[in-house]
Amino acid sequence: MHSAEHRSKMERKRSRMDIISDILLIINEKGGKIKPTHLMYKANLSHKQMKSYLNDLYKGNFAKKEIVDEKAKIAITNKGRDFLTKFSRMKEFEKTFGL
Amino acid sequence: MKIVFTPDWFLGKDVLIDVFSFLVLFAFFILCVRYYKLNKKRNFLSLGTGFLLIALAQLATILTKFVLYYDTSFIQTIGQMVITYKIVNTVNIFYHVGFFFQRFLTLIGLYVIYKIPSHKKVKDLFPMDYLLILLALVGLAVLSIIAYWVFHLAVILFLALITSNYLKVYKENKSRNTRILIIAFALLALAHLIYFMSPFSILYVLANLIELVSYLILLFLIIRLLRCNNALCRA
Repeated sequence: MHSAEHRSKMERKRSRMDIISDILLIINEKGGKIKPTHLMYKANLSHKQMKSYLNDLYKGNFAKKEIVDEKAKIAITNKGRDFLTKFSRMKEFEKTFGL
Repeated sequence: MKIVFTPDWFLGKDVLIDVFSFLVLFAFFILCVRYYKLNKKRNFLSLGTGFLLIALAQLATILTKFVLYYDTSFIQTIGQMVITYKIVNTVNIFYHVGFFFQRFLTLIGLYVIYKIPSHKKVKDLFPMDYLLILLALVGLAVLSIIAYWVFHLAVILFLALITSNYLKVYKENKSRNTRILIIAFALLALAHLIYFMSPFSILYVLANLIELVSYLILLFLIIRLLRCNNALCRA
């Protein structure tokens, strides 16, 4: 189950970093590539929000656009995977200490 | 003249334990700073500061013990009353100053770590409150020069409060890592309880070994936190 899906409604609003991490995690769990519409649905974002986040991810080289079988897909880069690992470790550290 | 509680056969070995403790605490500080850079949350910086202060306290212990152990053998080789007296006095001053910093930095570091989960209450404190807390910790550190047990009692109290905080965190997150953290802090409290009961000979060694085990557990925790991958961390 994706983290974006299993977050409880009682939890506080996701930070920008949390959303970016969720987007990368969703792409990664889909084998590294995903259709934009699927991503929007799974990340629970509006079209406008997703466009904004994806622009940031493209600029930072965390994700890239790819054409697979004549269809546009969003792919995670190695830098994106590294970020995801660091961010996950940071979240685990935060959880451990209750920060 | 006996100026440290360490049995002769354990001299030097206790410094190695202190060096190991310093490295573990400093590793936690580095992790906190690294993660602070990633998410800019002040709690990470506060926790890092707490660990750094305790690491510096360990450094003060290492430097003090190193000079003390070296000077003790130097006094024995001279053997002249007047010179020996002066050296002993210097050693005494060094001992008191060194261990004052060790005690003060440990107490303030533990206080910072204890205060983090209840950060909302910190907002209610005035600068004067911080000044009073600081003065109280200085007072405790000075008082422990006369009565060593005051320091250990204060440390036990802080460690009990920190452990209690992490127990509350564990009730919420049920994380195995938080459980490891609780065990490490509880063992540290046990070590100080033994120091508190009797600082001499075999009990001192036992307390040192328990302290070593607790820092080994903290190192194990660092390794676990650094090895977790996306799937494991998000499970």
